[in-house]
Amino acid sequence: MMGPTVIRVGETVAPHQAFADYLDGRSAVIHRVALTIAEASSGPILVVTLADDQVVRWPLRDLRTIPDQAGKNQLVITSKDAPLGRLIVEDAETQRLLKARSPNLRQRPPVRGRGRIFAWSIAALASVGLIVFVLVPAMADQLAEYLPPDGEKALGDTTFEQIRNALSENEFNPVKICEDRAGMAALEQMQSRLEDETDLPYPLSVLVLDHEMVNAFALPGGRIVLFRGLIKAAETPDEVAAVLAHEIGHVVNRDPARGALRSAGSIGVLGLIFGDFAGGAAVLFMVERLIDATYSQSAEAAADSFAHDLLISGGIPPAALADFFERLRARYGDQDGIVAHFMAHPGLGDRIAKARAANSRMVGAIRPSLGELDWQDLRGICANDEG
Amino acid sequence: MFRLALVSSVLTVLTLGIYRFWMKTRLRRYYWSAIRPGGLPLEYVGEPIEKLLGFLIAVVILAFYIGVVNLILMFLSFSLLQGNFAAYALSLVGVIPVGFYARYRARRYILARSRWRGLRFGLAPGAWGYAGRALLHWSITILSLGLLWPRMTFKLEKYRTDRTFFGTEQFNQGGRWQMLYPVFVPFVAGLVVLGLALGLWAGGFLVPAVLAGLAGVIATLLGLLHYKVQSFRLLSNAKTLGNIGFSSNPRTWRVMGIYTFGNLVVGICMVGLAFALFAVLGSIAGSAVGGLGELDLEEMATGIPVWIGTALALISYFVFFVSWGVLQQVFITLPLARHYVETLKITGAEGLSSVRQRDRDEFTEAEGFAEALDLGAAI
Repeated sequence: MMGPTVIRVGETVAPHQAFADYLDGRSAVIHRVALTIAEASSGPILVVTLADDQVVRWPLRDLRTIPDQAGKNQLVITSKDAPLGRLIVEDAETQRLLKARSPNLRQRPPVRGRGRIFAWSIAALASVGLIVFVLVPAMADQLAEYLPPDGEKALGDTTFEQIRNALSENEFNPVKICEDRAGMAALEQMQSRLEDETDLPYPLSVLVLDHEMVNAFALPGGRIVLFRGLIKAAETPDEVAAVLAHEIGHVVNRDPARGALRSAGSIGVLGLIFGDFAGGAAVLFMVERLIDATYSQSAEAAADSFAHDLLISGGIPPAALADFFERLRARYGDQDGIVAHFMAHPGLGDRIAKARAANSRMVGAIRPSLGELDWQDLRGICANDEG
Repeated sequence: MFRLALVSSVLTVLTLGIYRFWMKTRLRRYYWSAIRPGGLPLEYVGEPIEKLLGFLIAVVILAFYIGVVNLILMFLSFSLLQGNFAAYALSLVGVIPVGFYARYRARRYILARSRWRGLRFGLAPGAWGYAGRALLHWSITILSLGLLWPRMTFKLEKYRTDRTFFGTEQFNQGGRWQMLYPVFVPFVAGLVVLGLALGLWAGGFLVPAVLAGLAGVIATLLGLLHYKVQSFRLLSNAKTLGNIGFSSNPRTWRVMGIYTFGNLVVGICMVGLAFALFAVLGSIAGSAVGGLGELDLEEMATGIPVWIGTALALISYFVFFVSWGVLQQVFITLPLARHYVETLKITGAEGLSSVRQRDRDEFTEAEGFAEALDLGAAI
């Protein structure tokens, strides 16, 4: 059953009336006020009547709420033209009316100072870019020259432990250093063969880590690390010697010391930007790789060309490097998969071509870097470890 | 609250951290509005954009400082001392004064953007003064083997409080630093027990030493918590704002209960989540292996599954951290804030009517330094 429809003639319906707390934004006084909505030609207006009959008029289209409020029974309202004023409405019916009739309640004030934000964003990016890509590398290059050999060795030792820990599956089971006696002797033979041709402020220290990665790297202070996977992937001792010569090139050019100093500077800066939120560490790591990769391009080329000369003067054909890279490429493709390390290197094809070209400069007699027996020993360098 | 924390955390991750300024603003708005002295909510009116701007400004300045200083320190440390420990220690020491400075500035920003009864709070400038005093008091505390810690707590709190305003009215920190000693005793007692345990160990009494050590660690931690909670109570009670006084009564056991229960709930949820993630990852990995069953191992390791694996690992990592942050907010930060506020009474609020509005503190760099140095980690 529907109720009867009442049609009033004469005076309009008494408008909704309620009470609320009003803060004028000038003093701490809480005004208890009466609220009504007046219909004007310009649109409905919220009329706020104070105790001393002073009246504040806020057009409904100017009303704004304060977002993210915890108290669900309170509606806090302000007006666009009186940003310090506040009305705290607790009456449910008034809240319903205001929400229904104020069109812009959820609109936020326009963002001020867009230009300034933009300018400072550019400035921040530029200064971080300048520091990470120009200033820190330049300083690292300079300082690496002055780093005394002892200091460089200490830096290398620290870095080596960090890398070893990162490769290990857990702290209690670090990646083993391979130390089969015969294998060590073979490695030493190969090392001294190449070392005799160079002039370094400290002795090289070459070791093999028991890890299947096909990789090798040089650390500050003349420390060179080969992985078991690399020795396994090589088919002749000359190929291992070629990789070793390449890493010696890095040591001679002091690339590892530069890299370590560089990351000391840039990690702090990047941590500043990404440090605060959950994925900070991951992003940091990726950006770090990026920096490494960009700096390595020329350093790798230099190490390669050093390796060519070193191999030639040692009587080992540089083509061994090309053979090795070609096998890697055939097996894993250019620049992906397990050869992730070589992402930091110039295109393999280019390097292969350069190594082949260097081969033509080979004049003296070819002397294999290791005899067949020694080569078998080297391949077994990780075999005799206990466990 | 749960939804607000969750949505804003997810957005923060999706925007590579840029949304965190919005997240902080929204969480603060929520917390402030949940505190209603005399029935009227506090209001937080800070803008995310100004936080972003402040952060950018701080980055420009700090990037130079940290990048270059770290590099030089690393070089010096390795060339002179053959180790990197000195570099880390020095670079930390170099950041400490900036840290105090940043904290004071952040407090000033937050107060300038907080309102109650329509009036702004405020903190008078004085960040370098604060940093200098903080360094001095820390040195004194360390030199006195911690015995003058309460003095530092009081003096620094007084420095901050006496510069805090509500509208035109200034806060005042009354009392004396000696009043904090009674609540400092349990912590010292815990340390004494620890010392005793060390003595027993040296004397060769192993079992009693271990027992005493255990008791000492628990007593020290409880004592520290007791000192934190109760020194807050004593300092609050000694504060005045014109004719207004405060009466705070937080309970150490309750705070410890919140920490214990909160961490327990968070822990259980996280373990559950970890199991769920592993189950999901396991089933995905299982189906991937099933599909590639014919191929040899090496090919599989180098093929697409590696990328999928990495992506999944990244996603789980984010899910894990987001959930952790959200649960922390819901089960620890919020209950703690509630307890402190519920046990705080304001007396003599009638005198407030005469307080007038204070001018806006523009403060371009907002809390940028604290943000960049990762000091305002909570909210």
